[in-house]
Amino acid sequence: MSKKLIWSIPAASVLGLVCLWPQLSMAQAPAKWPTQDISIVVPYPPGGGTDLTTRALAEEMGKALKTNVSVINQPGASGSIGTIAVWNKPHNGYTISANGLLAFASYPVRGFTEGLYKDHKDWHFWIATYSPNAIVTKGGPDAKYKTMADLLAALKAKPGEITFGTAGVGSGGYMGSEVLKMGTKLNYKHIAYQGGAPAIVGGLSGEVDIVPQLLMEMVDHIRAGKMNALAVLMDKPFKLSGAADIPAITDSVPATKPFLPMGESFGIMVPKDTPANVVQAIDAAFKIAVQSETVKKFAAEKGSIILALSGNEAQAHVAKLLSIVSWTLFDAGQAKTSPETLGIPKVK
Amino acid sequence: MDWQYFLGVLQFVVQPMSIFTMVLSVFFGLIVGMLPGLTATMAVALLTGLTYKLSNEVAILSLVAVYVGAISGGCQSAILMNIPGTPASAATAVDGFPIGQRGEGGLGIFIATASSCIGTLTGTLCILLLTPPLALLALKFGAFEFFLLALFGVMICGQLTAGTDPLKGWISGILGLIVSQIGMDGMNAYPRFTFGEINLMSGIPLIPVMIGLFGFPEIIYGLVSSTARAQIKTSSLEFKKGFGIMLRNKLNIIRSSAIGVAVGIIPGVGEDVAGWLSYWAEKKSSKTPEIFGKGAYEGVVAAETGNNACIGGALIPVLSLAVPGSAPAAVLLAALWLHGLRPGPLLMSESPGFVIDISVYMAISAIAMVFLALLVSKVTVKILAVKSTILMPIVYVLCTVGAFVISNSIFDIYLVFVFGLVGLLLREMSYPAAPFLLGIILGPMADNSLRRALVLSSGDPSPFFTRPISLIFATAIILMALSQLNAFGWLRKWLVHSELKE
Repeated sequence: MSKKLIWSIPAASVLGLVCLWPQLSMAQAPAKWPTQDISIVVPYPPGGGTDLTTRALAEEMGKALKTNVSVINQPGASGSIGTIAVWNKPHNGYTISANGLLAFASYPVRGFTEGLYKDHKDWHFWIATYSPNAIVTKGGPDAKYKTMADLLAALKAKPGEITFGTAGVGSGGYMGSEVLKMGTKLNYKHIAYQGGAPAIVGGLSGEVDIVPQLLMEMVDHIRAGKMNALAVLMDKPFKLSGAADIPAITDSVPATKPFLPMGESFGIMVPKDTPANVVQAIDAAFKIAVQSETVKKFAAEKGSIILALSGNEAQAHVAKLLSIVSWTLFDAGQAKTSPETLGIPKVK
Repeated sequence: MDWQYFLGVLQFVVQPMSIFTMVLSVFFGLIVGMLPGLTATMAVALLTGLTYKLSNEVAILSLVAVYVGAISGGCQSAILMNIPGTPASAATAVDGFPIGQRGEGGLGIFIATASSCIGTLTGTLCILLLTPPLALLALKFGAFEFFLLALFGVMICGQLTAGTDPLKGWISGILGLIVSQIGMDGMNAYPRFTFGEINLMSGIPLIPVMIGLFGFPEIIYGLVSSTARAQIKTSSLEFKKGFGIMLRNKLNIIRSSAIGVAVGIIPGVGEDVAGWLSYWAEKKSSKTPEIFGKGAYEGVVAAETGNNACIGGALIPVLSLAVPGSAPAAVLLAALWLHGLRPGPLLMSESPGFVIDISVYMAISAIAMVFLALLVSKVTVKILAVKSTILMPIVYVLCTVGAFVISNSIFDIYLVFVFGLVGLLLREMSYPAAPFLLGIILGPMADNSLRRALVLSSGDPSPFFTRPISLIFATAIILMALSQLNAFGWLRKWLVHSELKE
C-alpha cells in the first residue's frame, strides 16, 4: 500500500504539469511577432478546398514571416468547431483560422456561434481565391444530361426527384443548389454527404444525378471527361485550362443573376482584438503569399480565380456573402435564428 | 510495364540521401505507431509539415515510409501491453497479448512484423498491376453498402472478441454506436446529446476513447496485481520457429491480403476494419477456432497482414480517383497535391511513372521496416520484464500526453478517464472493449449512410436486399444473428421432429 502511495505522488505531479502546460506556455505575450511557430486551423478534413488553398498559402506565408506556418485540421459541424476552437485560443495571431467564407457566413443564422462572437465584424479577413459552383453530372457516353437544357427539362418533368449530392446543409454545393432552385423555381432532392469527396464519388458512380460542388473539387474529373460541367454559377463563362469553356448559368437561367457569383472564396482570419502589430505582419505576409507563383499556379490548376482581398474590401465581400447565405438558409427553413433579428440586410 | 520509369526510381532510391530519409521516416513511423494515441494519420500529417522544403521525390518517399512504419509499429504495444498503438492493431491485441504473456513476445513481434511486411508488399503489387480495374470497386459502394458494411464490422468484431457469449460483444458494439451519436449529426448539423457542451459538438474523438478503453484498465490492473504478477521472461525472436509459422500460414496470408486491399479501396473504411475482417475470415476458416483469443499465431498473422495490405488498397483510389481510402491516405493525398502532383483521373497521362515510383517506395519501406522493427523489438520486449510499479506510471503519462496532443485539448484527457472507467467496468463484467471502439469508429458512417440511403430511395428499404453487394452483407448479417439465436438448432430439431411424425 505504502509503495503505491509513493508512486502516486510523482505520477500525480507529472499529470498536473501536463494539465498546466498550455496555460503556462501562453502566459507571456510576445512583443515581437512572430517568435514561435504559427498554426492555421483548417476546420475540415485534409484534401478539401479550404485545406488545399490554405496549404498553398501557408507555405508562402511561412517564407515571408520566416517561421513555420503549419496547417492543422480540426473538422466538424460545417467547420464551426475549428472556428470556435480558434476563437477560444488566445487572440495573439499564433492560431489563425482558415475557412471558406460562404460556410463561415452561415454560422450566425445557424446558431453555431451564439454567445461567442457577434458577427463577421469581430474578425479580420484576408481572402485569397474564389472558385465558382459548377453544375456537374456524370460524363461519358451514357451521360444523362449533356446540357443545362437537358437538366432543366428533367427538373420540370420530375420536380423534387432529381438528386443533388452536396457536402451537407450550408456547404458550397448546397448554396449552389439553392441558388439554382431560386432561379428556376424548380425543386430538387438534396442528398447530404460527409464532405465534397464522397459527394463526387456519388456523382461518378451515378448514386446522385448532379454534383453542384465547387469547380476546383472536380476540375480533373472534368478534364478527364469523367464528368460533364453543364454550367458555372457566374455571369460569364469560365475558361478552364485543359478543357472546354464552361457556360455561364445566366445563359440558361437568367433569373439567378442577383445571387451571382456563387461559389466559395477561401481565406484566413483572426479575431478583431488581435494586437495591431500582429495584424500588420499577417497582412504583409498575406499580400506577398497571394501573389506568389505557388498560389498562381495552384489557382490555374484548380479552376479558381485569385481575389487577394484584405481590409475593408474583404469585410464588404463577407458582408455580401452573409446576406445571401443567411437569407437563403432562412428561406429554406434551415436557419435557427432569423437574419432580421441579427441585423443582416436582405440581398438586392 | 515501363522499364525506364522503374530504372529511374531505382536510381533515386539507392542514393544515400534517399536511404537515409527512408530509414529515418520508417523509424519515426514505428515509434509513433507504437505509442498509444499517436496514430498513422498523425504521423503522416506531422511529416507533411516537415517535408515541405524537400524535393518532391524525397518528400513522398518519406511520407510513404512513415505510413508503412506507423501501421506496422502498432503491433508491438498490442502484443506487449495489450494497448494497441493505433486503432489498426486492435485486432492484433486479441491474440498477440496472450502470446506475449506466454513469454513469446519476441516471437509474436517477429511474426507480426513479417506479416506486416508481406501485407504491404501484396498491397504494393496490387497498386502496380491493378490500379485502374480495382478503383472501380470504390464506385460500387453506395450509401446502402456503407451502412451494411459498418453494421457487419461491428457485429463480427463483437462475435470475435466476446469469448463465450457473442451477445456481450454485440452489446458492447451497440454501446459504442450509441456513444458515436453524440455531437452534431452529419445530415442537418443538429447537436445531439451535447447538453450545450461545446466540446461535445464535434462528437467523441476516437483516440482518447481508445486510450481510455485499452490503456486505463491495463494500468489499474497492472498496479493492483503488481505483487501477484510474475515477471515474464524476455524472449528472443526465434527466427526459425517464426519462419515455420509463416510458411504454415500461406493461405491465411493470401486471404488476409486480399481482404486488406479490398477494404482499403472502399473510401472511408481503413486499416482498423481491415484487421478485424481478416482476423474474422481466418477464424471462420480455421479448423481450430477455439484457440483464437488464447494466443493463436494465425490471428496475429491475419490481423497484421490485413491492416498492412490495406495501405496499398487505400492508395488505389487516391491515385486513380483522388479519393482517399482511409484516414492516413487522406493526409497523404493532401501532401501529394501540395507537392504539385495531381492524383486522380489525369495522373496516368500526366505523370505515368508515378504509380511505379510510389510502389517502389512502399516496397523498400516494407523491407526496411522489418529490419528496423526487429531491431527496436530487442529493446521493447524487455518491457515485459519491467516491474508494473515502474512501467505503469510511465505508460499512464504516455497515455495522457498521447490523448492531449491530438487536439491540444484538456477535455480529451477527461474523456480518457471517463472511458477508462467505462473500460474498467466492461472488463470487470467481461464485456470486450474492442467492439465498443469499432462502434465509435463506424457509428457516424452507419448513421449517415443509413439516412442518406433512405433519402435516396425515398424511404424504401428494399435496395438493402436488391443491390448485389448489399444482399451479400445483409445475408451475412442475418445468418450471423440467426446462428447466435440458435435458430439453426431449432430448425434442425423441428425438421427431425416432423420427420419422426411422418
